[in-house]
Amino acid sequence: MPKILIPTPLRQFADKKDSVDVAGATVGEALAALTTAHPDLKKNLFTDEGKLRSFVNVYVNDEDIRFLEKDKTAVAGGDTISIVPSIAGGVR
Amino acid sequence: MITVETQPWSVMVDHAQATYPNECCGAMLGSIDGDVKTVRLALPLDNAYEGAQRERYELRPEDLLFAEREARKNGMDLIGIFHSHPDCDAYFSKTDLENSCPWYSFIVLSIQQGKFHHANSWLPNMEQTEAAKEELTHPNA
Repeated sequence: MPKILIPTPLRQFADKKDSVDVAGATVGEALAALTTAHPDLKKNLFTDEGKLRSFVNVYVNDEDIRFLEKDKTAVAGGDTISIVPSIAGGVR
Repeated sequence: MITVETQPWSVMVDHAQATYPNECCGAMLGSIDGDVKTVRLALPLDNAYEGAQRERYELRPEDLLFAEREARKNGMDLIGIFHSHPDCDAYFSKTDLENSCPWYSFIVLSIQQGKFHHANSWLPNMEQTEAAKEELTHPNA
């Protein structure tokens, strides 16, 4: 089973776990399994329309899924999925 | 409430002053106990913005992935992001808000004429439409 690492602020929505093993052959299936098991995570990761929030990036091991096959990126046992925010800003 | 210990605070201020007049950025690692966050380690990260860094910063997601891994390795948590506002106050700008993430504390350091002036911490909401001021304590407060 692939493993999803849970960022610290989201662990309160995942029974305080820092990682969750999930079933799924793709990133999309794995994230769906995660939010089914821990429904409170859903609003943190997805919009009401079911799209990943704009500030959410997903990595499989060291690769950003935007440069792979997005939510159809294949995952297997031994793979680690990381949830990493996009952050920027500035004075103006 | 967020407290920054002396050592990470020095790292944050040094990074902000060294990158002046450009904006700096970095990650804050530490612990959370109830409503109290304590920053124990600050990681200066590259400003990856491809443009005028005097008024913008951008963190590479892979650098945040590194910070998250460093936190886990050290038994800490990634609890916040810091950046500087050169010759501007430590407000949370529209650009800051629209490119933020509601999961973390955002400390803004105001650097005036190359020297630290003041700092504030902000907590953006999920919709990235507003940010609440968070009580901040640090060695220069």
